[in-house]
Amino acid sequence: MYRKQVRRRRAVLLLLVAASLTLLSLYYREGNGGPLHGVQDVVSTVFAPIENVTDRALKPVRDLVNWFHETFDARGENDRLKDQVADLRDQLAREQTGRQQSRELKELDQTLSGGIVPDGTDPVTARVIGRSPTVWYSTVTIDKGSGDGVHVDDPVVAALGLAGKVTQTTSNSAQVTLITDADSAVTARVSSSGATGVVEPDVGNPNDLQLDYLERGTQIAEGDMVVTAGFSTGDLGSIFPPGIPIGRITQASVEEQQAYQRVHLEPFADLRDMSFVKVLTTPSGKGKS
Amino acid sequence: MILTPGIIARLAVLGGFTAIAQIVCFSKMDVFGASPDVALLVVISLGALGGSLTGAVAGFSIGLFIDFLLLETLGGFALAMLSVGYVAGRYRETIGPPTRGAVVLLGGALTLLGALVIAAIQIGTGIDATVSFLVVRDALIKTVIGAVLAIPVLWIVRLVVRSALVDERRAGRRRPVAPGAAGTR
Repeated sequence: MYRKQVRRRRAVLLLLVAASLTLLSLYYREGNGGPLHGVQDVVSTVFAPIENVTDRALKPVRDLVNWFHETFDARGENDRLKDQVADLRDQLAREQTGRQQSRELKELDQTLSGGIVPDGTDPVTARVIGRSPTVWYSTVTIDKGSGDGVHVDDPVVAALGLAGKVTQTTSNSAQVTLITDADSAVTARVSSSGATGVVEPDVGNPNDLQLDYLERGTQIAEGDMVVTAGFSTGDLGSIFPPGIPIGRITQASVEEQQAYQRVHLEPFADLRDMSFVKVLTTPSGKGKS
Repeated sequence: MILTPGIIARLAVLGGFTAIAQIVCFSKMDVFGASPDVALLVVISLGALGGSLTGAVAGFSIGLFIDFLLLETLGGFALAMLSVGYVAGRYRETIGPPTRGAVVLLGGALTLLGALVIAAIQIGTGIDATVSFLVVRDALIKTVIGAVLAIPVLWIVRLVVRSALVDERRAGRRRPVAPGAAGTR
């Protein structure tokens, strides 16, 4: 009897591990239009409205926890206000949330002002409804999909700067791969010197990006602003339009520039705490929906 | 764990709600630079209450559902969570129902195990970028949060599946006999 149980347990375990590994390998091998992606699209489409409702319903809980964290961080300078803050905690959390959202939306509009958005582009405002629970996948899910004109490879902008690009869509949701994801690479330009390179992440550190492949001898100083380069060579072109702010140089040592042709920058956008983003959609889309 | 259609339905609702709450709420929380992995703790609790088979199946199902919802590579979270659920269940089968202290240790250690499996899958599938030391810090903070939240999460999960637990049924049958009750005359 006991042996039978052990055999059954082992069989189920082997079956589940084999299923996981098979799914992993098949998913990697098939293209975006493959059957597994198709099933995933259907499941995600069905559950996106539920995610959206749950996101709104659980927002007060999330804001309260985040508020505690922010308060803890700022405890040193807010000591004298602690008693008052404790009394007003709930009210303040609600007000801050509302203010933060309207500020984020305003900053989002300001980010795209000044002729950055190319002609024929229609920015779609989307709410961030889901986030991966691990730092290894820097992706978020948004509540707009192919039904709203969002296409794969559409650039995504957050308040103050570039967030990433759309990598998968369903009819009512989309996956955005952030510029901090291991797979991300964005051609960029230092606005003061005009030096170009590729912005890549330092996986696991949302506040540090690297501008790689710089030309040797380029003069780059801390504080310089980095924007998307948006190059175009014949049919080959960057999916990001030029001039979208990415971040500010925080570390530009001569040694690292000479040895690795690399400097460090901090992204303008707060990629760990975004509520809204704008997807720069085009009628035809650069990728596929 | 005694699985009836009603209990399976309860487990399905618990798993579905946990997966959705994880990606829309808990993953967006910032607790000292990391976010709590409550879905993993629910899987650990199910393994600790129901054994390795329950833990592995629950882990695989909840993980796969998260993969679907996040449009991530299918099988990644499923593999990580099934390993964690299986180990939690084996603990129960070899050592016995975990004590409070053991629950705290299991919560922390298995959260770390989950983080290691995810990291191994990522490294195994190839990374082009550099990896920050903060990945380690994130895993350690998650471990501490996992240890802290393990008991409350186990308590909630126990409430949901209470009627299916063999230990609870035995405890219910062994109620003390009141003085003067039948057979004591």
